[in-house]
Amino acid sequence: MPHDEMIAELKQRRERALAMGGPEKLAKRKAEGHLNARERLDALLDKDSWIESGLFATSHRPEVRDKTPGDGKIGGFGKVDGRPVAVMSNDFTTMGASSSVVNGKKIRHIREVATRSGMPLIMLGESTGARMPDRMGAEGRAILGQDPIEYLRSRESPWASALLGSCYGSSTWYGCLSDFVVMRKGATMAVASGRVTSAAIRQEIDSEELGGWKMHAEHSGLVDAVVDTDEEALLAIKTWLSYLPSHQNEAPPAYDVPEGSQGRGQQILEILPDTPNKVYDVRKIIDLVVDKDSRFELKPRYGKSICTSLARLDGKSIGVIANNPMFKGGAIDVDAMKKATAFIIQCDSFNIPLLFMVDTPGFLIGLEGERRAAPGKIMNWMNALSLVTVPKISLIMRKSYGQAYLNMGGGRNSDEVLAWPTADLGFMAANVGASVLTGVDKDKDPEKYAKMAKDLSRDTAVWGLAQLYEAHTVIDPRDTRETLIRLFEIHRSRHGSGVGKHRLAVWPTTY
Amino acid sequence: MAQTKVICEINGSVWKIQIKEGDAVSEDDTLAILESMKMEIPVIAPSSGTIEKILVAEGESVAEGQDLMVINE
Repeated sequence: MPHDEMIAELKQRRERALAMGGPEKLAKRKAEGHLNARERLDALLDKDSWIESGLFATSHRPEVRDKTPGDGKIGGFGKVDGRPVAVMSNDFTTMGASSSVVNGKKIRHIREVATRSGMPLIMLGESTGARMPDRMGAEGRAILGQDPIEYLRSRESPWASALLGSCYGSSTWYGCLSDFVVMRKGATMAVASGRVTSAAIRQEIDSEELGGWKMHAEHSGLVDAVVDTDEEALLAIKTWLSYLPSHQNEAPPAYDVPEGSQGRGQQILEILPDTPNKVYDVRKIIDLVVDKDSRFELKPRYGKSICTSLARLDGKSIGVIANNPMFKGGAIDVDAMKKATAFIIQCDSFNIPLLFMVDTPGFLIGLEGERRAAPGKIMNWMNALSLVTVPKISLIMRKSYGQAYLNMGGGRNSDEVLAWPTADLGFMAANVGASVLTGVDKDKDPEKYAKMAKDLSRDTAVWGLAQLYEAHTVIDPRDTRETLIRLFEIHRSRHGSGVGKHRLAVWPTTY
Repeated sequence: MAQTKVICEINGSVWKIQIKEGDAVSEDDTLAILESMKMEIPVIAPSSGTIEKILVAEGESVAEGQDLMVINE
């Protein structure tokens, strides 16, 4: 074959592959306001950084070979903010980006390279699930799913997923294995679609109710962030990556400290109420402690009595686990327990030091919590905390009651325990304690009850904790930022390179 | 028009109701204040809209999971 013919064929095959599912389907998506799989790559990646793997792959079935450019899943490598990443972008216009023999090989290759070369893996999800007839019968069993470690999550590098349409099959599974999941409103994620589920259980089920953004952001907790558009979803992934190292064997990237980050301590006193019965939104206090505008909250609508945020302090990434009295008075419910544990695992796996900010009346007790295995969740959290090797600092702002005192880093569960003079170290609220521990009935003997409650409040002030050297120091709330910067500097130095041991790297993503 | 229920997140009593039926509210507005665990805990609007119905009164005991109000989005 003459060279010019050979090059012409390459060009023609290339154009055919880049055309995806054809102009009609692509136009329909555009009209719906959604980006296609290749436009998503353009929006996500640094300009001209994309190098594709598998452009000429198609279905192995001769009858659909011509209808399956790229076999519906586009794979390759690019850069985000100058750092290499591996990406799979599902092309829904090509057979619904269904899972097949050949595109399964693509996912595996991209995943293995990301792991081996130490770069984040990004999945842009939108897929229908297993392709038929590929998955049918004995042959379907024997040729699809031939990778026994396909679903092994061992966190050698960070994984991020975007849910950008109907997500069933691989988009769902990889979403649930990812460290960060962003969902676009209107997308759905479930084991099977509303249509399949309705047919299977003979009950009309709406896909949005089954796996829409509200369900995942507020109830399942499987989604970390919700956005309105594809572009915002891709930006959220970039933002999340900015706090993470490219792989587990390096420290997260450091940034310049934004102007205006210092000297905002006085405002903490304006937010912190001066009476213990008033609540406040802890996020406003975190914002004054960390670098200006550097806080990136995960799962803000789920388990809200604990706030989990990535942030920067003096230009370096930290993970903040803060009780939020604004919700349930800061009492930790089961959703908040699951959220805290998952966040500890994420931070420890990627060398991000942890800051606990404590103001909780304890775990939320009640029937619902016990039915949902609250004691097991509390111990999962403690078990995780005992395995953490990144620096941990605990700051007791106000209440720190009961077992939650330990879960929030007290009792040598952190490298350093700081307290504000407002710290209150009870075992439980003094009024509850008065009835439980002494059996005194408030209505029958109010005088004795009041005395008991007062006795139980004794020694709960911070000074006892500092005298026993259980709190390493008591600080003026206005000095919090500067103190934390110095202490993280001190505790970081035990890992010269800022790399921990990652003993939680194989723990699950969902609890 | 979608309706959203404002669901009680904790056992306690209704201390103050800060809106009335027909009021327009924005997501994250404080609608009422509960008293629980010796703290004043706000009830926060889960979405923007108009208050269709208030199902509880000041002083009433409320339980986790109970419907407190209905918002027309």
